[in-house]
Amino acid sequence: MVQYENRQPAEDINVTRTHPLKTFAIYALSALILVVLLAVLMQFFGGFIAKRVPFSVETRVTEAVGIELGSRDAPPELVSYLNELGLRLLPYIDMPEGMSVDIHYDKENVFNAFATLGGNLMFYRGLLSVLPHENALAMVMAHEIAHVLHRDPAASLGGGVATALVLAGLTGNAGTGPASGVLSRAGMVTGMQFTRRMEVAADEVAVAAVGGLYGHTEGAADLFLAIAAQRSAGSDETSDDSPGLFERFASTHPLDTDRIDAIKTSAKKYGLLTEGATTPLPDDFQRWLAAN
Amino acid sequence: MIGLSAELLIFVALMLLGYGFGSLIERRHRKSIIRRELELNRLPAIASRRPPEDRPYAQQLVSGSVVIGSDYFKTFLSGLINLFGGRVTPFESLIDRARREAILRLKEEARDIGASHVFNVKYETARIATGRVPALEVLAYGTALIPAADISRSTHDTSQA
Repeated sequence: MVQYENRQPAEDINVTRTHPLKTFAIYALSALILVVLLAVLMQFFGGFIAKRVPFSVETRVTEAVGIELGSRDAPPELVSYLNELGLRLLPYIDMPEGMSVDIHYDKENVFNAFATLGGNLMFYRGLLSVLPHENALAMVMAHEIAHVLHRDPAASLGGGVATALVLAGLTGNAGTGPASGVLSRAGMVTGMQFTRRMEVAADEVAVAAVGGLYGHTEGAADLFLAIAAQRSAGSDETSDDSPGLFERFASTHPLDTDRIDAIKTSAKKYGLLTEGATTPLPDDFQRWLAAN
Repeated sequence: MIGLSAELLIFVALMLLGYGFGSLIERRHRKSIIRRELELNRLPAIASRRPPEDRPYAQQLVSGSVVIGSDYFKTFLSGLINLFGGRVTPFESLIDRARREAILRLKEEARDIGASHVFNVKYETARIATGRVPALEVLAYGTALIPAADISRSTHDTSQA
């Protein structure tokens, strides 16, 4: 008669003996290397291609999209003052023929200014209201014009879109579950290193422009002192007093303290005076800002 | 908005919790499975469809079903492995435990009705949707053979159940 029996199965046939942490270390490291490499490549090539699109095409596309920048009822005196300051800075920025900037003002109390596609610069009331003098304003403006000069808005868009597409393709279709969010973050943080390099390069151009316009760089760093004061006054961002290692790595902008040091270094590099009299903002500047 | 550091902290906490509790539960479960298997090996569960014909047997359907959830660590690691391919080892141990637990539950039912064998044993699996961390159901079923002398007891027992 047939004998039937169940024997105890060996424990390592269906289950690996490799420690899960070892498996994790191997795969996490490999995935991180893959994502960082892809992000770097995509940022580089996306930016490279976007920068080769002629500025005139970029301007036409921006106009065709027709996004209205700035407040409709912005005080015209303030807008023309900002554009006039921009024109005064342009000779010191070495803008190539065919490139220009258009400066807009928004009445939102946002502590920000940015350069976007088509040479458009945006200044918010929140930022303008804390600038102590024209030199500090010129520093921000020259910094944003330098972004236009370097084609940074186009490069950021091109690199960002290429990175996002590749990461979505990589993590979205592979059934990676919770890992996809972390890998996407790793890709984004990698992209931020590119942004930070753009900021450093723009600062250098801005210092030279401010030094050229006023004959010295006095007050150029006051912008960053204002930013630091604004942050410690209750912004949700981490204060520069004690930035975490991760914040420092993941930030799009260099630390304010580092930027102040960089201004001094750039001034020295270009043989600029670091001391001099600052130029006041127009008498009506605060009145323009207060206008509803 | 949560800062990047906070997100990283939550992620690390979930991974540590998943790994710590997941490993502890897995170790305890595996220990329990081995102990109960040693007890129930005397009641063979056989895949064959041809039962022994040495004596008359009553036949009854028995089943064992289990749902086992993954943990965050296993799910995360399996996601990483999916990028490259290869053995998804974190889920292999999960499925191994689920399969063996389902058979044990089947055998426990068979033992309780006085069966000497379970024949024609089959498995079915299903993924239970529980958000981003999956859970798995394994169902084992088969035909319990109850020797003729035990039929009356089995009938009595099952009617009480």
